[in-house]
Parts: sequence; C-alpha cells; structure tokens
Amino acid sequence: MEKVIMGNHAVSYGVQLARAQVIAAYPITPQTQIVEILSEFCADGRLDAKFIKVESEHSVMAAVVGASMAGARAFTATSSHGLALMHEVLHWAAGGRLPIVMANVNRAMGPGWNVWTEQTDSLAQRDTGWMQFYCETNQEALDTVIQAFKIAEAVLLPVMIVLDAFVLSHTMEPVDIPDQAVVDGFLPLYEPEFKLDPGDPHAFYGLVTPDHYMELRYKMHQAMRDAVQATQRIGAQFGDVFGRPYDVVEKYRIEDADIVLVTSGSITSTARVVVDAWRANGHKVGLLKMRLFRPFPFEAVREALAGTRKVAVIDRNISQGHGGIFAAEVKSALYGASQQPVLFPFIIGLGGRDVTPESIHSILNHTQSHDMPAEESIWMEVKK
Amino acid sequence: MSYEIVFKTEADMPLLPMSLGSTLYNKTGSWRYVRPIYRDKTSPCNHACPAGEDIVTYLAMVTEGQYEQARQTILQENPFPGVCGRVCAHPCESECNRAQLGGAIAIHSMERFLADLPAPRALPRLEQRDVPDARVAVIGSGPAGLSCAYQLVRSGYEVTVFEALPAVGGMLRVGIPSYRLPRDVLNAEIEGIVSLGIEIRTGMRFGEDLGFEDLTDYRAVFLAVGQQRSLRLNVPGEDASGVTPGVQFLRQVNLGQEITVGPTVAVIGGGNTAMDAARSALRLGASDVAVLYRRSRHEMPAIPDEVEEAEQEGIRLEFLTAPVEVLTENGRVRGLRCVRMRLGAPDESGRRRPEVIPGSDYTVDVDMVIPALGQEADLSFLGDRGQVERGRIAINEAGVMSRSPSGADRSPQGVFAGGDAATGFGTVAHAIGSGKRAALAIDRYLRGQALEGFPPLTAHLRVAPRDVDPTVVRFEDINLAYFAEEPRTVQRQRPAAERIKGFGEVNLGYSEGDALKEAERCFSCGVCNQCDTCWLFCPDVCIHRLDSGAPSAAPGRQAYEVDYDYCKGCGVCAEECPRAAIVMEEELKWRK
Repeated sequence: MEKVIMGNHAVSYGVQLARAQVIAAYPITPQTQIVEILSEFCADGRLDAKFIKVESEHSVMAAVVGASMAGARAFTATSSHGLALMHEVLHWAAGGRLPIVMANVNRAMGPGWNVWTEQTDSLAQRDTGWMQFYCETNQEALDTVIQAFKIAEAVLLPVMIVLDAFVLSHTMEPVDIPDQAVVDGFLPLYEPEFKLDPGDPHAFYGLVTPDHYMELRYKMHQAMRDAVQATQRIGAQFGDVFGRPYDVVEKYRIEDADIVLVTSGSITSTARVVVDAWRANGHKVGLLKMRLFRPFPFEAVREALAGTRKVAVIDRNISQGHGGIFAAEVKSALYGASQQPVLFPFIIGLGGRDVTPESIHSILNHTQSHDMPAEESIWMEVKK
Repeated sequence: MSYEIVFKTEADMPLLPMSLGSTLYNKTGSWRYVRPIYRDKTSPCNHACPAGEDIVTYLAMVTEGQYEQARQTILQENPFPGVCGRVCAHPCESECNRAQLGGAIAIHSMERFLADLPAPRALPRLEQRDVPDARVAVIGSGPAGLSCAYQLVRSGYEVTVFEALPAVGGMLRVGIPSYRLPRDVLNAEIEGIVSLGIEIRTGMRFGEDLGFEDLTDYRAVFLAVGQQRSLRLNVPGEDASGVTPGVQFLRQVNLGQEITVGPTVAVIGGGNTAMDAARSALRLGASDVAVLYRRSRHEMPAIPDEVEEAEQEGIRLEFLTAPVEVLTENGRVRGLRCVRMRLGAPDESGRRRPEVIPGSDYTVDVDMVIPALGQEADLSFLGDRGQVERGRIAINEAGVMSRSPSGADRSPQGVFAGGDAATGFGTVAHAIGSGKRAALAIDRYLRGQALEGFPPLTAHLRVAPRDVDPTVVRFEDINLAYFAEEPRTVQRQRPAAERIKGFGEVNLGYSEGDALKEAERCFSCGVCNQCDTCWLFCPDVCIHRLDSGAPSAAPGRQAYEVDYDYCKGCGVCAEECPRAAIVMEEELKWRK
C-alpha cells in the first residue's frame, strides 16, 4: 500500500511492521513524531508493544538495553543532544551484543542552538560499536528499519538508522508500505540465545579482567566484519521479496567517470540531478552514495573509486581539527590502493543550511578546475 | 565458593560477558549488614492523649470508611467520645506533626463525628474473663468515676457508683454548659455506660451520707470526688450579694435553677470555667460581660477555640488586671476596684508571674462578679485515713491512696483515688485516663497481683495496648516529599448572633466528606498504612505484600514481608517511608 508520509512516520511504520516489542523514548525535535505515532500504535493496539516513558535519553537507552537483554525486540529514536546523552549506554548496548535498533534524526549540536540537519551528532558516535546506515529517502528509511532488525539479530550488534532533519523527517514522500504478512516472512520473531530469565538466572556484564577483555572486543570486531556481508546478503534478500534491493553503497553512473561525488543522506538525491546535468553536457561524472558507514565498507569503496581521477567527498559534518568525517574515512580506504584518485574534501550545509543543485555545481566546478584541493578542507558557501 | 575460568581461545568464549552457569546459588542477601524491619513507632497524638486513645489507628479506619470499627477503637479506651469530641482540650492536636503543614488534624472533630454516627451504639464488652467475685465502690460519677466503673464492669466486676448530687455525670453535667455539651449527648453516653450493669446511687455524699465504714461489702473503693469548691478571691467585699463563684454559678445554670444575672457581669479568671461562666451569663441575658485576667492572652489556660468563640459573641477580655476590692452598696455588688498588672519573671508553672503596677488602681461598675480562679477538692471526709498533698489526695502510680502515717489502717478495702481530687490535671481526658488506670490497678489488686510497673501519672495507659516502639515520631522524621500543605478542615458553627440567644450547641460537627478529607490529611506518623512506597521503591524487588484480606487498618497488622535472601540492606525502603515505620537494624553476623 502506498502512502504519502513524512520520513519520521516512514520509520514508525517500519517499526510497526518489524513488530518491535518494547519502545522507550524521550521526546526531542526533530525526532518526536517517530515515537509519537508509535505511542498511538501501542495505545490503540495496532502494535503489541510496551511503550516506556522515561526521564532522559540516558534512561531511554538503559530501558531498551534491559528490554533487549530480556529478549524483546527493542526500538528507540532520538536526535542530537539526546543521542549525545546516551553515549555511555551506547557502548553498553554494543558491548552487551544487543540487537537494538535506533533511529537518529541528524540535527546539529549546540551551541549555537539549532534544530536543523547535520551529521556530526551521529558521526560522533562512530566508535561506540553501533552499525550506522544513512538514508536518502523516506522509502529507504522504512526499508532500512526492517532490514536493520534482521541484520542486528544476525550479527548481534545494535544498529543506528540515520535520516536528515526536516529534509526527510518532516517532508512528505510517497512510500510503499509492505504487507505485514510479507514482512513477517522476511523477519521472523527474535529468539536470542541468551537472555535475562528469572527461571534460569545468569550473571551478565560483570568484571572482565585483561585475560579476556581483548577477546571480547575481537569478537565484536569479527561481528562488524561479518556485518558488511550480512548487510549485502539481507539487502539483496530484501530486494527479492520487496523489489527494492539494497547494498552497502550505491554506484550511480560511475563507470568511466573522471570525477566521482561521494555523498550520504538526502544530498545524494540533489547530487543525482546535477550528475545527470553534467553527463548531459558530456562530462564524465558519477556518484557514490555511502549507505553503510559502520562497519565501513572498505572493499566496496575501493572497488567503486578505482580508476577515477578525482573524488569529491561532500561532508555535512565536521570533526573540528581534522575535517569532514566521510572524507577522512574514504581517504583511509584508498590508502595503498593502486592508482589513487585525488580527493577533494568539501564541507557544506552545516546547521541545516540548504545544499542546492547550485552548491553541487560549484563543488564539481572546483574539482574540475583544480589539480589538487587548495586546502585541507574546502568550506563551501561560507560568508567570508 | 569461587570459580576461576580461563578460556583457551576466543572461540570458546561467549559473545558477551556472562556467567555460563546458573546464578541461583547466589542469594545476594548475604551482602547485607543492616536490614529493614517493619516497626511501628508511637505517633505524637497517641502519646499525648491523656485518655489513651489509639488515634492514629482510628483515623486510618476512617480513611477506609470503617466508621464503626473506628468508634469501637475509641470505646475500648474511652466511653465518652461524644463528650471528648466536644469539650476535650485536645492535647493530641498540640502535638500533631501536621500542624507544620496546613494545621493539626482536627482530631476532636473526628472523634465527635464518630461519636455522633447515627448507627446504634454497642459498647464493646471485653471478652468475659474469669474474675474474682468482688464488688467495687466508686465514689463520684464524673468522668473519672464512670471511666473506672465502665472498664471494671466490662471485665465482669460488680460496680456501684455513689453520687452526691441528684444527677449523674459530675462536672460533665454541672460544670459544662449545654451549648458546648448538649444534654442528650451526655445522657446517651452515660446511659450506655450504666446499662452495662452498673448500680448508681445518687444523693449519697461521701463523708455525710456515706463513709468508709458503710463500704465493707466492697473489696475496693475508688475515690473520684473531683474539685467542687471555687478558690476565693481573698479581697474585701467578696461575700456580698451578687458575687457567685464560677463553679456554683455553672451548677445552678446546668441544673436549671432560677438565676438573675447582670446586666453588667465581670468574670475573674482565664480558664475554661471563666469562659463557660461568661458565655452562660451572656446567654442568660447579661448585656455586658467582661473577663478580667491578671496575665495576658498567651498565658490563658482556656482552650483557645473557646476564647475565640467568646470574643465572637461579644465578650470583652481585659488582660493584666486584677480585682483588689468588691465595691458594695447595701450589701450588694456595685463595682470592682482593680489594679493593672505587668508580667515579671516566669514562675514554677513556666508562665510569667503577674506583678502589681503600684498606683494603677481604677474602678468599674458591675452588677455581678463571678470569680473563676480555679477549684479545690473538699477532702474533709478523708479524716486521718489518707494523706493530702497540695490539696489533693496523695496516690502512687497505681492510684493507690497513700495512707496517713498517723491513721491506723482500718479499711478492709483497697482504697484507690483518681480524677481531679487526686491528680489535679483538671481535664476530662485526664480524668478518663485516671479512672482507667484505677480500673486496671483494681483488677490486679483483686487478683492478688503486685501493683508494680505502672507508668508515671502523666503517662496514659491502654486497655488494648499495641506492641509499638515507644519512640515518638517527630515532624523531622516525616518524608515531606509525600505530603502537600493542605488546610485543616474546620467544623461548621452557628453564627454568634444566633447562638447567644440560647443554650443550643455552637459547633455543628463534620459531614462525612469533611471527616474523610481530614482523615486523609493524617501523616500516620510511625504507623504503616500500607501506602506501598517501600514495595514500589525496593530496587531488589524483595519486598512482598502480604495480602491477608483483613481490613488494612487492623492495628498492628504487618502488611509486607522482606525476602532477606535477596535484600541488600540498601535502606531505600526505610529512607523513602513517608512515615518512619521502617527501621534499619544492624546485623552483627561476625559475632555469631
């Protein structure tokens, strides 16, 4: 069934179809609508789940950690400062190998106080052991929620689904909402191997000495490595069932390209239009969309960018003192590759400033007209 | 027990840090060194009640609508809830911890509400015990005498009450005006007591119509003759016509005798008798009634509500003044000469001593003077049988009359004394408590048991004591996070202009809604009322509700059980308890 809905509600419908059993949440703009409609689903019985209201995001994550430990399929959503407040418990969820799924609506961190889109909030959590998916459309948001539970439960890692504030979260798009029965077939109920059970009590998460700690982290590392293949396998399977296949990255008109734009989130859609325009003018320009950020899909990135002369990475985020975070990650993937392309790192659209087709044109113009980037990070459209 | 597990490779290890074996063996209560104990403490109201009522329990019963059970709880200890709900000075309210958060619980109004319930009253008879075949004589039918007779007859003793006046009730009947204590209320309570099987003999004044030698059939005697004589002013002119002592005036009023008052009346004194006399004079037609008191308002012994009501009715209060002469004309009062006073250093009562201001004499014109400086007992009947101390019969803590060292012990009976004639506490509630104490002592005496271990006369006694910690809960012990400031519920009153037209009751009591609202305000200091706070807060989920199905306000009922196999002794339950009903007890395991 197709509906015209906001990105936030696309996430909510995905959670409903995934039959989440426990949802804990604390409201924060621009996420609130996700859990608002879920609370209604819980109240009117459309979703058979326990909705837990708590007093802070720290407790939100603690609550879903507890629910997941008890074997429930658990979900929450947050944004920006809410995510930052969860930080400690994010490590707990990952180290506890709990297949929690969380939606994070990208919003800039304050101060200055700002509710508009930027990726720094989620990227600042990249080392917590959570998988991260960046969504381009409302449809992708819904589809990724369903896949996320399946991936998380396969590799026992928590998954964060990221979407842009307002550009996706509050913008209506036509979204195909799959049939429950089909989703049930794709995503059976979660049956954990270990769980909190008063009838069979075990001690969880106690002291681990140096004798064993490193091995536990090595096992997480292996799970992250396996998660790349799991994402590809489950994305392809999703395509077989629902007609919309997904991969860890998406290559758009990339064959024979001299310049490849690297994008994530909703900027990808804007960049597609510009790529088509440049192609129409005979320029060999392509696009690599980063969907999976953690684990980082090294092989897919290397394979996609091999043979390209120039790569322009667009970052709507900033690691102060370093630069754009996607640029740094792509650069690290290319290290040691034969025929390394020249990488142009662009910072743009912070704090929700619009990134327009003209912005992308400027980025391509700069990339085309320079042999090497003029600066370590190229800040676009800054009022100097 | 301890284990050390070393995995050879990461492949042997679980994905997450957890015990592979069951942890059922680990009863984590072993980590505890203090443990919570449910232990009811003493609420300040219960501690303060001279009649020994279990107030905190009956307030809890009211919150659950168990009115008859609440009334029976009072009647165990006090057969006069209708009287006390109206005229008691309610020291319980002075001690009430709620006073600091919206006003003390109006306990007297609650008591009156329960006493006035329309349901027929059934006085609780104690389970018939096997008592010695003995008769007891009670001298005086005031609150002390009837309280003693009530408790004895409930136990199974034969009791005869001797009363000097033609009517039963003592000061309740002849001292307190009917606008405070309607006669039908008093009559109903007295009839209830007498109907248990007490023999009443009126018109028998001890020392005149009757003596110790006439009581040889009785194995115990309880002297509760009260204080009937007004203290004298000791000023010139005091014996003139138009000077009527307060007690005598009230007796005439209350027995319906013909009296002419006023039109200008001066009442001398600051106690309840002064207020009663002044307000009665007003109701009998006096046009101008003034109360002259030698100290200030702060030192007045009268119940503050009574003072306020008197002022509402138009009675003038004049402080720091004292009569030095009653001015007369042809043997009749025509005025008073007074002096102004000031307050000096505190005296032995703790109140500041009034001192005359030299040269401050002034005169006022009055037609009637009612001295109400206090009362004393007429103890001439004692002869040399008992000791008199400071005008009162000397007794020990069991109420046993101290024998005069010079007098031979000629009485075959055990002689006990109580009430105002022996204790001088001067309130109805004290008299009721004193009578009960004597009944408990007489019961033991007649069984040949030792009369030891009675608490001081200032402490109350219970017929049905509960096993509670004697520590009195103070305001600081209450967890204020659980209580909002809520105003005290005030009972309705008839307007002053209407009520001074006659002797109809001033206070109109509580509605059921008022009573429920007021009972809900009670902190239940130190007494578990099953609020579930501990049960909700226990982080180890080791507090369990004991749902016995019994009425939850049943005194002393334990409502929760701690599973000490898992309690860590964190103390959150005791800390959170709104009313300090949980204590943490150290467990000295290492001494085992």
